[in-house]
Amino acid sequence: MILVVLEHDGQRMRKGALEAISRARQLASLGPIAGVVIGENTQAVAQEAAQYLPVVYAAEVGPYTAEKWAEAAHAAVQKSGAKVVIATGSRQSRTWTARLAYRMKAGLLEDTLETSTDSQSIIGTRYSFLNRVTERQQAPLPVVFTAKPNTTPLAEPEGSGTVETLEVRIPAGVEVLERVAEQKKGVSLTEATVVVTGGRGLGSPEAFAGVEELANALGAAVGATRAVVDAGWRPYSEQVGQTGKTVQPNVYIALAVSGAVQHQAGMNKSKYIVAVNKDAEAPIFKVADYGIVGDVHQVLPALIEAAKKLKD
Amino acid sequence: MKFIAVIRQVPDGESRLKIEGGQVDLSGATMILDQMDEWAVEEVIRLQEKHGGESVVVAMGPERFEEAIRTALAMGIDRAVHLVAEGYTDPITQAEALAEVIKAEAPTLVFTGGQQADWDAQALGPAIAEALSWPVVSWTTQIELEGDSHAKAKHDLDEGAEVVRVALPAVFTSQQGLNEPRYPTLPGIMKAKRKELKKVPVSTSSKVAIVEQTIQERTRLNKVLDGKDPVAAAHELVKLLHEEAKVI
Repeated sequence: MILVVLEHDGQRMRKGALEAISRARQLASLGPIAGVVIGENTQAVAQEAAQYLPVVYAAEVGPYTAEKWAEAAHAAVQKSGAKVVIATGSRQSRTWTARLAYRMKAGLLEDTLETSTDSQSIIGTRYSFLNRVTERQQAPLPVVFTAKPNTTPLAEPEGSGTVETLEVRIPAGVEVLERVAEQKKGVSLTEATVVVTGGRGLGSPEAFAGVEELANALGAAVGATRAVVDAGWRPYSEQVGQTGKTVQPNVYIALAVSGAVQHQAGMNKSKYIVAVNKDAEAPIFKVADYGIVGDVHQVLPALIEAAKKLKD
Repeated sequence: MKFIAVIRQVPDGESRLKIEGGQVDLSGATMILDQMDEWAVEEVIRLQEKHGGESVVVAMGPERFEEAIRTALAMGIDRAVHLVAEGYTDPITQAEALAEVIKAEAPTLVFTGGQQADWDAQALGPAIAEALSWPVVSWTTQIELEGDSHAKAKHDLDEGAEVVRVALPAVFTSQQGLNEPRYPTLPGIMKAKRKELKKVPVSTSSKVAIVEQTIQERTRLNKVLDGKDPVAAAHELVKLLHEEAKVI
């Protein structure tokens, strides 16, 4: 039995949940698949998930803490007898899956790009050493693994399953006092197929209006470098790099970004990389597929115009 | 009060990596105290400076880790416990061995890095918490003690952040913005040489095996246009992305 823990936003499953279901279907030789929806408003999301899976558990535990999620996932593991647990490689999942793996005495494969089985173990590939090394890991069952976002085709609905309510003891320890919401505009950074990132070379927070305009024209998400975030020009949620988000879109457009190793750790696996920088020696050009050596203040408006013309 | 930092030694991000026989060969790399662990060490020292008590570093890894441990001692940590183990052991398995040491030390709290720069893993802190049945707060950017029973902390989520009150003892993992780590001073480095560093050999069997490591650098096209005529260059670039790469 395989258990998929389905990420959702309180209304619908996230893209990552559909990727996780696809991963489970790839391991069909290990038996049937069950799903679990944890959090708030789980019944509605579980109904949606039942179009994809024969059994979906709904565990209503309130707002996120790692302890609650581990507890609920563990209850679903016990109920289903699952030997493999799959979740999305989000930051939150990578916290509670560690708790769950320890509790199940399972091997943990984090943020896998692809996974397969020889019926005794799970083999997964993933990046390590700041995204520079690709490694193949193997762990005997039971195994918990997370699937890196944007690595797997989205699952299609398959018939109709049943929803079961899962009773979970709510662990104490962490009390959420306040949520600091992120200003959400447009496309989510880790799920975007096009990312436009601005660096310190833009010169001012105002110059990011151009970055946003280009992103809008291309249906892209906006990213930022650490220097830009440290300077307070952009929110931390937009940071790409070692201590920010890791993205691998179809195309990553880096505007006035020099390309330090720490930044590359967050974007070096993008399918195509585009750089605009006035310094032809900037490290970003070494990993770029396409580039323009020039002043970003002149190139960016021209790019916006060309992109808009293309979309018309 | 007692504060513990769990640390690791990792290759400097700027170091060139080599592959030997399907595994990463670190022989030529510069090894450093993990940057995210450095934030953990700094925070532990600050908590001790503010609230008194003792600070300890705990690490699990090969002999060479001693250098990183001495760096933490030079920054101001009081003493260290080094679980000496060669070869790869996965974070979940390490957590069990580390938790045993931590349990015996009975600290107020534990801090460690949010992600290790060699494993690219985020599991170590939460797995230690699970092994001890303590709560965990990941990606912490602010922490304030409320006596010795609770802490108020701010930490990053996937989207946004939240403020939580946590029952102590608990495990916290670090995130950028937590603090600005101090550099070890020369007297600090001299003192560190005489500080207690207890070595305990351990043998564990990893649940996860690393079958093979490779460095797959994508071959990049490196088509660079001259931006002297920005309008022409921009149009050419958009055309390439649309017609050649087919990504926009």
